[in-house]
Parts: sequence; C-alpha cells; structure tokens
Amino acid sequence: MNEPVHQLDRLQRWMQSVITHPEGVSAGIESETAREQFDIDVDEIETVISRSKALNSIERLHVYGNAYYARLIECMAGEFPATQTALGEEAFGGFVMGYLQVSPSTSYTLGDLGRKFPDYLAESRPPREIQGPDWADFLIELATLELAYSEVFDGPGEEQMELLRADDLLAISPDKWGDSRLRTAASLRLLRFQFPVQEYAAAVRQGNEAIVPQPYDTWLAINRRDYIVRRRPLPELAFVILEQLQQGAPLTDAIETAVADHNVDMTGFADRLREWFGSWTRDGYFVDVEID
Amino acid sequence: MPAPRLGHPLLGMGVGLRSVHYPHILAHQPEVDWFEIISENYMDSRGRPRYVLDQIAERYPIVMHGVSLSIGSTDPLNHEYLHKLKALAGSVNAHWVSDHVCWTGVAGRNTHDLLPVPLTEETLKHMVERIRIVQDVLERPFVLENPSSYVTFACSEMPEWEFISRMAEEADCGLLLDVNNVYVSSVNHDFDPVEYVENVPHERIVQCHLAGHTNCGTHLIDTHDGHVIDPVWELYRRAHQLTGGMSTLLEWDARIPEFPVVHAEVLKAKQHIADELERVAKGRNSSRDDSPITSGDAAIVTEPVVPHPAVLVTAEVE
Ligand SMILES: [Fe+2]
Repeated sequence: MNEPVHQLDRLQRWMQSVITHPEGVSAGIESETAREQFDIDVDEIETVISRSKALNSIERLHVYGNAYYARLIECMAGEFPATQTALGEEAFGGFVMGYLQVSPSTSYTLGDLGRKFPDYLAESRPPREIQGPDWADFLIELATLELAYSEVFDGPGEEQMELLRADDLLAISPDKWGDSRLRTAASLRLLRFQFPVQEYAAAVRQGNEAIVPQPYDTWLAINRRDYIVRRRPLPELAFVILEQLQQGAPLTDAIETAVADHNVDMTGFADRLREWFGSWTRDGYFVDVEID
Repeated sequence: MPAPRLGHPLLGMGVGLRSVHYPHILAHQPEVDWFEIISENYMDSRGRPRYVLDQIAERYPIVMHGVSLSIGSTDPLNHEYLHKLKALAGSVNAHWVSDHVCWTGVAGRNTHDLLPVPLTEETLKHMVERIRIVQDVLERPFVLENPSSYVTFACSEMPEWEFISRMAEEADCGLLLDVNNVYVSSVNHDFDPVEYVENVPHERIVQCHLAGHTNCGTHLIDTHDGHVIDPVWELYRRAHQLTGGMSTLLEWDARIPEFPVVHAEVLKAKQHIADELERVAKGRNSSRDDSPITSGDAAIVTEPVVPHPAVLVTAEVE
C-alpha cells in the first residue's frame, strides 16, 4: 500500500470488517480482522466514529451493518423468489448470510451476486437420511433453476439473428445427416432435475399457492425468445438427443447414441422425431446447420 | 471561472429509468425530458434491459449513473469496469457519466453500499488523483454526487461541502448535487444544509437529484421510496437560484409507483422554480430567509428500512 493512503486504507479495512460481521458491529469491532487495523474496544469507538446529537457511534454504525445484509438478502430474494418461498423468509436469510461469508461479492454488479448460491447450498447440505431425492435436493435444484433463469434472461440471445427453420432441416437429405451438425442457440440450457422444480417456481412467480411436489425425473430445456425466458419439459429421449446436438454430435450420431442408451419403441419413432425437431425449430433452439 | 454547469446542457426534468416502467415507456413514449440509467444494470446486459435501453436512447437524452466505481477506495481502480462504462457511454451517447463520493469495498470486495470517506487531506489527494485517471479513460464529462451518510469519522478535518468543493476544483470534474442527500446527511450529522448548498461551487453543478427518504426519528435513511418533502424542495429552490438551473432528476427505487406518479413528482420542480422566480421578481428575499428550513414532518418509521442502492433487474419468465 502506498504510504499516502495508509490511514484511509486502515479505516476502510476496519469499517468493512465491522459492518459485514455476521454477529453485528460490536462483534465486528472486537474481531481479529478489525483489530489488525484499529486495536480498540467497543467503548473506545468514538476515537474512530463520532457520535451525533441523537445517536451514539455504535448506533450509527448499525445503520451500515443492518443495511449490508438486508440489502443483499433483498437482492437474493429478487433473484431466487421460489427458493425463498420454499425455505421461508427467515431460513432463506440465514442461508444467504452463510453464503455471503463464503462468497462475498467481489463484482461491480449485483448480477453476479447469486452465481455460486446453488453450489453453496449443495456444499452445505445436511447428510442424507432417506433413499432418493430429499428436501435439500429440492432446494438445490430450485436454486439451480432460478439461477439459470436469470443467466438466460440477461445473457446472450438470438433475438437479432436469423434462426434455423423446420424447412431448412427438411431440406437436408438423409444421406447427409451423418455429416450435419446443428449449432444450438447460445441461450439454450438443458437441465436434469429430480423434482419438477419449474412448476413450483412458476406458481411462486405467478403468485399462486406453491406446493412442494413429489419427486419425479424432469428434463428441461430453457431458452430465451423475444427477451423472455421460456421453459419446456421434454421426454428423456428427446432431451438426450438435444444434449448430444448441443455437444456438437452430428445428427445421426446424436439420435443413435440416444436410442442406444434407451429402450426405444421404434414404432412411430420417425414421427416423434419429426414432431420434436419441428417444435425445437419453432422454439428457436437451433441457429444453423453445418454440413461437413 | 468555468461556465455555468461547466458548459453542459440543461436537460430539463428527468426520471431514473427502472425496469418496472419499461412497458409504460415503450407503449406511451411519455414526454420526459431525459432519463438517467444505473450503469451497472446495462453494461453487461445482453437481454431485455439493454434492448429496451437502446430504444429509449434513440428517443431521449441519456445520462449514466453508477454505483460501483468506488472512487474513494484504496483498492486499485477496475479498468475492465471503466472500459465497459466507456463503451456503454459511447453507445447510448451519454451526456455525462456520474458516480458517488464514496467507496463501496476494499480488499477486492464490494459491499454494494455507498460508504462515506473520512474528510481528510489524505483522502482528498487520493480521490483527486483517481478522478483524473477516470476522466482520462472515459473521455466524457464526469460528475460526482454527494451521498447520504450515517456516520462521520473522528479523523475528518473539514466539512463535507469543503471536501467536495476542493475535490471538484482540484480534479476539474462536475458535481451532481443531491439535495435530498444534503438534507439527510445534515440531519444525521447536525450540520446546516443551506450552508452546504450555498458554499459548493455552483458553476460545477451539472445535475441535481431529488428523492424521498425515511424518517427513523433519530436519523434519516435515504430510501428513494416516496415523495420529496418540503425542506428538500426548499434546498432545491435555493440551489436552482444559485446555479442558474440544473438538469433535474427524480430517483424512486423502492415501492415504485406507476410511471405517471414518478414523472409528476419531478415536474413539481417546475412549479418550485416558478415560485422562486416570482419571489425574486417581487424583490423578496430568497426562500432561506422567509421560511427557515426545519426538520421534515414525515411520519416516523420504526421498522427496519434498507438504504439505497439495491437496484437489481430480475428475470422475466414465461
Ligand atoms: Fe442521488
């Protein structure tokens, strides 16, 4: 640190550790990180922070201490409304406080604040007590979905692009399928869940009563069209085909890989494929096709 | 002596652009003189916020207002951030770029709060150097706002008005005078808000902010959640008289009402200006002398409130 701003630097480091202390500003003043800068007790606070006519120095610092957590909890609730509903306001606030200890914001934008929240929930989950998906899995999946929603909402999209149409697909002759790769939209996210979390999230966002669903395997495609986030639950087979395509597999390989992994009833399979690709092109999942 | 407003245009009465008002603005194209945007909500956006902004910028003058520059921090300036700020300013043709006289974090962290700086010679020198760097990078008019604050430091060596006056003069930057913040801080720190408004360099004030706040009884909190109260309008009239006019903007960030309510609030400024002119024309003294500024008469709020800023754009899902 430059000598000229030595005092300013000490004061900022001290104040930041005081107002962000999870147990409040008095605990913050007594903390080791604060004492590294100013080794003072709570009753010596006026050597650093002046009092006003109406409030003492600790009460004044409280304004910043309370605001730090309240503001960031409010922002997280804005980004994760369904996770907050599922947990309840108080427990959600507790989780966010825990999260901020591990991942305090280091970004200029609040848009990055929740990026690691699903990972935090996964890392701090309690041990499993039942076989199969449990309450913690539900919360982690819900937070994962809500993070995907905000990333897709403000991330790259295809609104200003010409997208692949069903006719373009039909124009590829079947003998070229082995060499054709579909480039999927940048906004497209494919997410596997053990709960139909999108239904719970939709109920919360629409202001309806949200009931925690029974677990069942859910395959979800999320993308953005006309600047609004869209979601579509898919059959597993369709999901796997799309996933293969997104990873760059040629059309034939994508379908063959998916079929090989699943017991597929081949009757009417060609019709189902046509239907899927039709809806995927309508939904804007593909940008273009490259033929080797 | 610099020209009034440092020569920058008088934009009129503007409103802070908030995402809840996008549909109204796009559908009705209201007769607003200009919009101020929160820079951080748009500089990385590749979705609807940026798409809407581009349409609004085609029709209305835009000014950029940031909350994360952290000009007073001892951390190094974030040049990636500065270059994104510059790029956004170029693409929406921002008349000027503003931020706050504050720091937002240290040691790599962002508290997302506008934290006060100690008012010392050391801080002044540090900030002046950084403002010069920011101006060199941005190559666009740069303006700093006085924030609301809730603590003062024992080591402070001068009043805030003196600090920001010297800062603006030594760094040769503009000022955004938030008269609500002057009022909030004057109550919290027991100083005279009129002395503040009368002593800052008026020719450097290019913009003014108006907003509502919350009265907590022992102190005020800058919540941007309501109407502008009379003592703040009085400061506004005084500032208008001293500066010869400032681009005026209303901030409303919590419990945001319908757009016409927000717009109507800033248009009240025109009446206040007219009243002030009439008073001067009739040879009476300025507002200060015939009605001394008293503390606000707003109801006292006891439940916890969150000070500005917490402006997050949330996803729209089908
Ligand atoms: Fe302001």
